[in-house]
Order: sequence, then structure tokens, then C-alpha cells
Amino acid sequence: MANAFAVELRNVVKRFGDVTAVNNVSLQIRQGEFFSLLGPSGCGKTTTLRMIAGFEMPTSGEIYIDGEPLGYMPPNKRPVNTVFQHYALFPHMTVEQNVGFGLEMQGVDKAEIRRRVGEALEMVKLSGMEKRRPKQLSGGQQQRVALARALVNRPKVLLLDEPLGALDLKLRKAMQMELKALQEEVGITFIYVTHDQEEALTMSDRIAVMDEGVVHQVDEPENIYERPADRFVADFIGETNFIPARVVQLGPPVVVEIAGRVRVPAAWAEQGLSEGDQALLSIRPEKINLYEERELGEAGPTTARVEGRIQQMVYVGTDTRHTVRLADGSVLVARLQNIHTEEEPWTVGERTIVEWDAAHARVLRV
Amino acid sequence: MEQVLRRNPALRGWLLVLPAAVFLIIFFMIPLLIVFVYSFLERGTYGGVIWQFTLENLARTFDPLYFSTFLRSVYIAILTTLISLLLGYPLAYFITTRPAHQRNLYVLALMIPFWTNFLIRTYAWLTLLRTHTGLINVSLTSLGIIEKPLPLFGNDFAIVLGLVYGWLPVMVLPIYAALERLDKSLIEAAQDLYASGAQVFRRVIWPLSLPGVVAGSMLVFIPSLGAFVTPAILGGGKSLMIGNIISNQFLAAHDWPFGSALSMLMMIVMLLATLIYFRWALREGVQP
Repeated sequence: MANAFAVELRNVVKRFGDVTAVNNVSLQIRQGEFFSLLGPSGCGKTTTLRMIAGFEMPTSGEIYIDGEPLGYMPPNKRPVNTVFQHYALFPHMTVEQNVGFGLEMQGVDKAEIRRRVGEALEMVKLSGMEKRRPKQLSGGQQQRVALARALVNRPKVLLLDEPLGALDLKLRKAMQMELKALQEEVGITFIYVTHDQEEALTMSDRIAVMDEGVVHQVDEPENIYERPADRFVADFIGETNFIPARVVQLGPPVVVEIAGRVRVPAAWAEQGLSEGDQALLSIRPEKINLYEERELGEAGPTTARVEGRIQQMVYVGTDTRHTVRLADGSVLVARLQNIHTEEEPWTVGERTIVEWDAAHARVLRV
Repeated sequence: MEQVLRRNPALRGWLLVLPAAVFLIIFFMIPLLIVFVYSFLERGTYGGVIWQFTLENLARTFDPLYFSTFLRSVYIAILTTLISLLLGYPLAYFITTRPAHQRNLYVLALMIPFWTNFLIRTYAWLTLLRTHTGLINVSLTSLGIIEKPLPLFGNDFAIVLGLVYGWLPVMVLPIYAALERLDKSLIEAAQDLYASGAQVFRRVIWPLSLPGVVAGSMLVFIPSLGAFVTPAILGGGKSLMIGNIISNQFLAAHDWPFGSALSMLMMIVMLLATLIYFRWALREGVQP
């Protein structure tokens, strides 16, 4: 019976000298899942991937594939394959030889190798390139060869280390879609390392957000964006406002005090906060609306309102970024979509009422 | 003039090689040509040549007396190259595995022997190897480890030892350069694709380091084939190489045409060896 988890990490720690690259990471990656490790450079995501591949051994903790502990199993014995950041194609071999290398090492017979290499190249749309050398291919084509070279072995898990990082933006976008489609087609578990949040959000079934060797949140893309678990995740993914707040009531409903004495409701408060604590109210700029006093409608139980003055407006195409200064001097940004052309625009220094729904507001630890 | 050069990048390139080209033509090509011409002339009584065309010098190079020495020289040069490769490759690999700041120290250490004259270093080996008075045999016999002195001197063993010692660094350096350039993620990629340690070496590291191996082997083989200091000193006057015969023809026998003919033969062999070696390396799939 297949284990529910393709890959599982239990309390994995990796130290290099005094530096702890990966600090007590536990992850459960499901069968057939497109799972991303997302974080800034140096967050430990690549080290985590390299431990699964077997290039690094954990200092402590254990990694399981299909429920089997890997221990000190060397990389060539592990049922995983890797797509490297700079592809690492063998420059002295043709495309065909590169893709067939893994099968050859496993002792698959020649006819079978030829057949499967042909299939793999067809899958990545590189038929006809068999005899070329990596140097004769474009970046995007090399990327496909690297993918075919790994997938042809039908690994239980495919590890991808920022595989699109070296491609230009347009090609990267196209490859993202292709990779995602490919993953659904072959049904292999993908573990994808990236520092590009948009890439992770677009492609992944679930994302683990990492920083300084620690996993901050593991969740579906929508939850990562809409319901960040802590300050780091809220800050790293997309743009957000952190409004200094004091916890009044942990609820439910959660209530905080901002901009001096204004009490506003919030959807959720992070664990470890107590009433009276200083905290941050996190709210995405696109969830905020600005009104003139006379435009205000009926306030519901989840409506948050605070008064401020327009400090700056920056037109960025689809929307305009309005910077609003609150009574206590704290500043927040509202992104208003440029759809109401007939409406009178705001002017700098004008008084405004900032409004949002508590469903989008989260109280996080400082 | 300046404008002409600006419009003509190709001309600019030729201008840059001009000094080196003139130098090489005068001091390398012309002497070579002289050697070539001399090998077809009759010998003068006290050196020099008589301008009389003959093929006899070339025919004499195949005289078993000389040709056997010649073959032995090729054998010694090949042996020297192989042993240098066997010792040098792991050493070069070791250096590449060191942290960056240590690597330069190791490379420097390799070069230190070159600071002393080759002749003096070879005499130093003499004091170690000599049959009855050499340091090694004296210590081993006085310690009672051996009864009779070991045949360390005046034979091919001594010559190969001296040559390997002399040329090992030039084997190591190009291999080191090739291995250092090798992208380490290629090794990981091979491991990831189920290659064992031996397979990683055979299929990835070795072929990609071949340009260094070829360069190093040439740098060892060529001077080893033409060696004359080492066999003269460590060969003990008995074990000679083709280089000694050539120098004897010029300095002792005053037979310049025959010396030239032997030199030509040696150059042809070196050229052939180089060609064969490069073709083999190309077949192994090296693309520099």
C-alpha cells in the first residue's frame, strides 16, 4: 500500500559549522503534490532539497520517502531525481546521451533506453534534437532537456531547484504553465524550490514558506496570501500594511486599537498574543477602500473604519497607490483600482475615511 | 595610419602578433630549417657540413645500434608519462578539493622545485641513489634491512625516477586547471542519475578533465623523449637515451648531419605521438 506521504521530514536539522541552515523542519508532502519551498536566499530551502536528494546529510532528524527512512543512503540509490538550477547538463554528451544517462546507469537495455528517451523528448517537445550538444541549445531548450533527463527515470519524487531562474521573464511564465501541466500529466510528486512568490503561488498545490532555516507556514497558495500565519509570511508574500495596534480583546471577535483610540475588529489573532499586547494589524492594500464622510454606508459588525489624510498618490497602471496618514502618524497604503474614471480623484492633504472588512485583517505578533 | 587601423580590426590583430612572429621565424623556424637541410648533407671533418646531398644520415638512423636506443627512449618517455599521470591526477584532484585559499599554496609548492637548477636537482638524486655510496643504500645496508645494495642507479629505473620527479609538476598543473573548471553540479547530477562513484569518474570527471590530461601528458612526454641531462647523470653513463646520442654527435663525434637526422626522426615521432594522442582524446568526446 502506498504511503499517504511521498516525502516526510521529521525534525530535520542541518548545521554547517556554527551556521544552522535548516532548523528543526518537519514537512509532510503528499503523493502527486506540487509542493513549493519558498523563501529568500539563504532561508534553507535549497539545503532542504539537497538533503532529500542526498547531497547533504541531516545533522539530526530523518527523511522518509514513501514511509521508508532514507538514513545515509547515497544520492545514486534514492528514488528521486533533480532538475538543477543551472541544469548541469553533461557538456560532452548529446541530448540523447544526457537524457539516457540515468537509464544507462540503472542497466536498462539499449532498445528500451532509446524508446524511453524518445518518449521523454517528445513530452518536452524536443524531438529531433537528439544529436545536439547542450551548448547548441537555447536556455529554454536546455531546461527541457534537464527536465526530460530527470523525468525519464520515472522517479517517485522530482526535485526542482529554481529551475526557471536563468530564463527571461516571458519564457519563465510560459514554462511555469508547461511545468504545471506536465506535473499533472505525469502525476509525479514535485518539490519545487523558488524565491519567486508569484511562481510559487501560480504553480503549487501547497507552499512551505521558509526563513532562516525555519518553516513559517505550510498551506495552499490562497491561504498563504489571504491568511498569512505570521509577520514574515505576510511581509514576504505580496504587499501588506502593518498598522501598529494594541490587543483589546482576543475574542471572538478579535478587537484591536489603532491610530490612538480607534477600535477595529479583526478576523484572527496569532497565537501567543494576550490582551493589552502591542501587535501589528496586517491588511493587504487592495482590501482597503477610501470614502468621503458623506459617502459612508451603514457600518456592519465587521466593518473597520479609521480616519486619515491622503499623503501621496502614485499611479501604477491598473491601480493607484494612495498613502494615507492616520492620526498617530502611522501610514497605510490603499490600492484603488482605476475603474471609476468619472469619479473625482483624491487630492493630497484631503481628509478621508479608510474602510475595510475585518475578514481581511489579521493581528500578528510584532 | 591610426584611421586605417581603426577601420581594420583584422590588421590590428596581425600587427599584434608581428613581434612574436618575427622572433619565432628568426630564432625557431630558421634553425629548424637548418637542421632539416643539414640532415641531407655530408659531414665535415671537424664539425660543420660539406654541401653534398646524401640520404645516408637518414638511413643510418635506422641502424639497430641507434634505433634500439631510440625505441628504448620512446619506452622510457611513455613510462614516465604514465607514472606521472598516475601520480599527478590524484594529486591534482586532491588540490581541487581544498578550500580556495589553500589551493594556491599547493600550486606554489608544486612550483618550488623549479626555483633550483634542474642539473643540481638531478645531482641531488645522485647522492640518494648511487649504488655503494648513495644515502638510501648506505642507510638500508647499515640498518641491516638489506645485504646487497639495491640497483637504484645507472639503469632505466633511475632515469624514469629522475624524469618523473622533474616533470610531475607540469603534469599536475593542466589537470588541476581542467578539474578546477569542472562544474561540481555535474558530479551531483551524475550521482543523482544513479551513477556509482566509479561511474561518475569514468563518465563525467575523466572525460571532462581529458584536455588537461592531454596537455599534461604532452608536456611530460616531449621533454622526456628528448632528455639528456637525466640519463647522462642518473643513467651512470651506461643507460643512455636518444638525447645523449644526439648531443654526442654534435659535441664529441662532430657529425652534425647525423645529429640533425636523429633530431628530425625524434621530431617526427613526437609529432606522430601528439597526433595519435589528440585523435584518441577527441574520440573520447572531449570538446574543449
